[in-house]
Amino acid sequence: MSVRHALLALLSEGPKYGLQLRQEFESRTGEVWPLNVGQVYTTLQRLERDGLVESDDSAEDGPQKAFRITAGGEHELGEWLRTPPDMASPPRDELVIKVMVALGLHGVDVREVVQVHRRHLVELMQQWTRLKGDADERDVGFALVVDAELFRLESLIRWLDAADARIARLAPDVTEPAAVAASSAPKPRRRVGSRR
Amino acid sequence: MSVALEPPRARTVTARAENGGAPARRAVVRWSWRLFRREWRQQLLVLILLTVAVGATTAGLAVAVNATAPGETRIILPGSDSRLDDDIAALREAYGPVTVAHHQRIRVPGSVSTVDLRAQDHTGDHPTLRLRSGRFPVGANEVALTEGVARLLDLKIGDTWHQGGRALRVVGTVENPRNLDDEFALVAPGQAEPAASVTVTLDHNPARFRSVPVPSGSPLGVDAESPTAKAAAAAVVLALGAIGLLLVGLVAVAGFTVMAQRRLRALGMLGSIGATDRHVRLVMLANGAVVGVVAAVAGALLGVVGWLAAASPLENLAGHRIDRFALPWPAIAGAVVLAVLTAIVAAWWPARSVSRISVVAALSGRPPRPQPAHRFAASGGLLLAAGVVLLGLSHERRRVFVLIGTVVTTVGILLLAPLAVRVLGAVGSRARVGVRLALRDLSRFQARSGAALGAITLAVGIAATIAVGASATHVTGDAAAGNLASNQLVVHLSPNGDDGLIPDMSTAQLQAAQQRVDQIAASLHTRDVVTLEAAVNPSASSQLKPGAGADGQGGSIAAALVGITNEGHGQTIKRVAPVYVATPALLARYGLHAADVAANTDLLTSLRQLHGLQLSYGFRQEFVPRTQAAPLPRYTSAPTTLITTAAVERLGLQPTPASWLVQTSRPLTSAQLSTVRNLAAGAGLNVETRTERQSRAQLGHDATAAGILLALGILAMTVGLIRSEAAHDLRTLTATGASRGTRRTITAATAGALALLGGVIGTAGAYLALTAWYRSELDALTHVPVLDVVALTLGLPLVAVVGGWLLAGREPAAIARQPLE
Amino acid sequence: MSALELRGVSKVYGEGATEVHALRDVDLSVAPGELIAVMGPSGSGKSTLLTIAGSLEEPSSGEVLIDGSALSRMSRNQRARLRRRSIGYVFQDFNLLAGLRAVENVALPLELDGAAVKVARRAGLEALEQLGLAERASAYPDELSGGERQRVAVARAIVGDRHLLLADEPSGALDSLNGEAVMRMIRAACRRGVAGVVVTHDAQLASWADRVVFLRDGRVVDQTSPPPGPESLLVHEPPR
Repeated sequence: MSVRHALLALLSEGPKYGLQLRQEFESRTGEVWPLNVGQVYTTLQRLERDGLVESDDSAEDGPQKAFRITAGGEHELGEWLRTPPDMASPPRDELVIKVMVALGLHGVDVREVVQVHRRHLVELMQQWTRLKGDADERDVGFALVVDAELFRLESLIRWLDAADARIARLAPDVTEPAAVAASSAPKPRRRVGSRR
Repeated sequence: MSVALEPPRARTVTARAENGGAPARRAVVRWSWRLFRREWRQQLLVLILLTVAVGATTAGLAVAVNATAPGETRIILPGSDSRLDDDIAALREAYGPVTVAHHQRIRVPGSVSTVDLRAQDHTGDHPTLRLRSGRFPVGANEVALTEGVARLLDLKIGDTWHQGGRALRVVGTVENPRNLDDEFALVAPGQAEPAASVTVTLDHNPARFRSVPVPSGSPLGVDAESPTAKAAAAAVVLALGAIGLLLVGLVAVAGFTVMAQRRLRALGMLGSIGATDRHVRLVMLANGAVVGVVAAVAGALLGVVGWLAAASPLENLAGHRIDRFALPWPAIAGAVVLAVLTAIVAAWWPARSVSRISVVAALSGRPPRPQPAHRFAASGGLLLAAGVVLLGLSHERRRVFVLIGTVVTTVGILLLAPLAVRVLGAVGSRARVGVRLALRDLSRFQARSGAALGAITLAVGIAATIAVGASATHVTGDAAAGNLASNQLVVHLSPNGDDGLIPDMSTAQLQAAQQRVDQIAASLHTRDVVTLEAAVNPSASSQLKPGAGADGQGGSIAAALVGITNEGHGQTIKRVAPVYVATPALLARYGLHAADVAANTDLLTSLRQLHGLQLSYGFRQEFVPRTQAAPLPRYTSAPTTLITTAAVERLGLQPTPASWLVQTSRPLTSAQLSTVRNLAAGAGLNVETRTERQSRAQLGHDATAAGILLALGILAMTVGLIRSEAAHDLRTLTATGASRGTRRTITAATAGALALLGGVIGTAGAYLALTAWYRSELDALTHVPVLDVVALTLGLPLVAVVGGWLLAGREPAAIARQPLE
Repeated sequence: MSALELRGVSKVYGEGATEVHALRDVDLSVAPGELIAVMGPSGSGKSTLLTIAGSLEEPSSGEVLIDGSALSRMSRNQRARLRRRSIGYVFQDFNLLAGLRAVENVALPLELDGAAVKVARRAGLEALEQLGLAERASAYPDELSGGERQRVAVARAIVGDRHLLLADEPSGALDSLNGEAVMRMIRAACRRGVAGVVVTHDAQLASWADRVVFLRDGRVVDQTSPPPGPESLLVHEPPR
């Protein structure tokens, strides 16, 4: 989440004070992402330097200083909204790494490891869902943020489910991780290579 | 249902009946009714079969009750009765209102027919007299004729009939509404004197009828027609209707099974909500009851409407006027109740099996495993064998055996249907995809295709039985064909036709007769004239000569085929058929050669029932002849039986011309007949023509056609049902890229396969049953009604394939829509 | 007392070589007002667990208690009555009887239990009103959308004073928002004291539960602890 563009979006509604920007940011994202005041002012200074916002010159730096968006800022915001985020390079996911490592280790029940992570993720989802369930259904911004989080967690759980099923199918006897690694490792690599 | 009548129950939970009581039943029945309203199309097969069965029973009952004439008793007094008026008065006093008619028998010149001249009072209430057109005769010079007499005499209203020296003007057309075959000429009372006989007719009432001594002491001839036959006929029809309903019930079981499977998930759902097994059964039973009631009411209406439409043609057939609303209502109500019961009982079996499935299995739509086909086939084969044996044991007479045998045979054939379907699936495994899919669907969904095949087989079986049976009785029943074809006439020398007495004639007289016959043939523009020579016994003739003929004329006895029955100490000799000499010309006329006739053969004949018949050629001169079957005509007044010239010589008989058979290319008109009769009368000859109105063989063909139509109708319905069941598959097929041709192929193959199997099994079953029936005279069955059998086994499938192909082109919207589950 | 309790429940289908162990020694207890989700891949025995809990099937061994009374000691008819009075089912895609209007479908269990038509109908309407479906009461099932059908099914499952709701993939055939609506409804019912069991392989659905039980090869392998308050999330998740 780019704080820089979030502030630009808030300013596109009209001139605002720094403190006001922080409050509105938090309330619009369902108070899920806290933001400290220092972060807000640092970002505003950089925006001003790049000519995307301008401030009242008369006022001192501080809570009374109001900011407004420039034409360059509006353009930048429009560009940003339509630029897809970088999805091409996969993130180095810790969960994936842990399961991969477990697969190669002797004496480790991979499916048990998977289950530990699954339970943890489901517990997290339960918490998010409870938040969503208790919240006002008309609070769309909040629902969107929670949904994003739920879908992300769900995708991880589904990956775990798939991994679980794959492991169960390839090695009925999961106490032999070495054999699993030896027999299964080359195949996915080849498959990945052929797809690219 | 009775549930609606029970008092409302307490509303608190604690007071509720153990299993929901009346409200629960009401809710279940309501749902069942709604389902029927939504899905009645899927039950069309059962509905229509039931409707047809009830309709046929209703109409059959109406026909049975009305086909027999109202009962009446005729007391015949001799015309010579000296105290006639006193006698009639005595009878009137004894019986109340009676109808009196005086009769004279009038010979029609040039014909073997006579006319009944009847003097009867037409005023007052006369159930035996009705005016069709014109008016009743009044006075001495007027007459009214029945249609038959008018045709015979070639007279119409306004013409004059010169009869016995008086001129009678025809003023009207009359009929006897109780007996349309009663042909007579009506004159005013007192105009038929002297009467040959007097009839006194009274309504039949066995309780009232008793012998009444009449003042004159004349012997009374009594001729009674009993109405008890009516009740018996109605009982037979009701029994037949019950059998029909039983068969329909069997098909209905299959139909309801299919429906239960279609509703399996819904029934499972009902169970998961907490419906008990009884509730689940009630859904099916209520559905059965609704189907039964709808079909029974519709069928009864259909039957009554059909009866009303068919009543007037039936009047001609039955030979009397019919009161259309004199229906046997209690019997019809019985048929309706029976139909409702049939449907409920038919629904019971699938209801039971569905309520036994676990809720989980039902919810996932897993039907109970179908009974393996071979088990059906085994019991089917056993039943078939048992039925055939029963029919064979029945000796055509024992009714219980016939009844049970018929039912068991039919059930056996129906049970064989699944096996046949299975075989079909195996056969079709190498066919093209459309055909293969159609056949596999049939063999996989045994319950519905078995039911469909059963229904078609039944329809074909009935049609085949009638066709083959009609053909067989045509063969065995020697009098079925009538006396002559409508394009034939026989000129007799004897005024009484072929009564076995040949008038003695001089050569000159014979020559004159021959010339007159040639004239007659010329007037009809035909040369097809065959001389029929009787074989007379010169020695027997001489014994009989003094006053032998009816008119005091001399005559010779001709050889004839007779049946002799011994009764007590006397013998009754009944003439069965005239015997003519097998002259080379006669043999040639029927495509026979003298060489074909075995040396020791006495008779060539087309008759089949020869058992107990003897050849009589004189007084106490008869023996059992050696016969040989020959393709001779089957009309009783045509030459059915020929005596070989060898036998004539052996018996010392003498061939002498007796009659001439004249045949034209077209049916004879009454104008032609009138001319012929005039020509014949001039030379003292007598003409015989066809007397029966309609051929009975025609009835067999009509029944076959009706059976084929019924089978086609059932086929169309079942194929439609089966294909609509598979509408989902069809959509998948279309999505896979199947063309309209494939769709057509599937439907055509389904229809064709069912029709072929139904036709073959039905016909085979009919033959099997009839073989057992006619086992003592199997040659009757050798006369195969080729046309009918080919129509049933090949024509029906062909029509089905073509019809399926043509009709499957467009997918009806109703079928494409998938019902919600 | 638990609304539903499974004690050492096992279920074996088939015999000999084709023997399948659908459930092995499962213990589970659901308190009134609690919503439990049973999660597991296909073939893990989830649906069997639900049908056994709902008295539609009998366990091969073990005991099922509903409101403290053991199912094994009940006759077929008694179990049917239990389903009419205490247990409500919601299935994945086939819930409503065609030919009955929505309100009639909801009122059906009451009617089957002997309630008068009017009484049952009023109760059905109330249940539909609670779920915001009052205006669809007289529609036939084929006139309802998929989401509406499932919500009517939930209404039927809780009509009267049923207190055990069993749902098998209740939103499996629905899009996520319709699915969420159904789950909100089930959760609302549980808040009023109904004990609920939802069987699913979908984590989003399961996350609505108070407790998630993991089933694998017919065995309960794990379960989540009751979640802490929502504040924890805000502390744990820093913005990125």
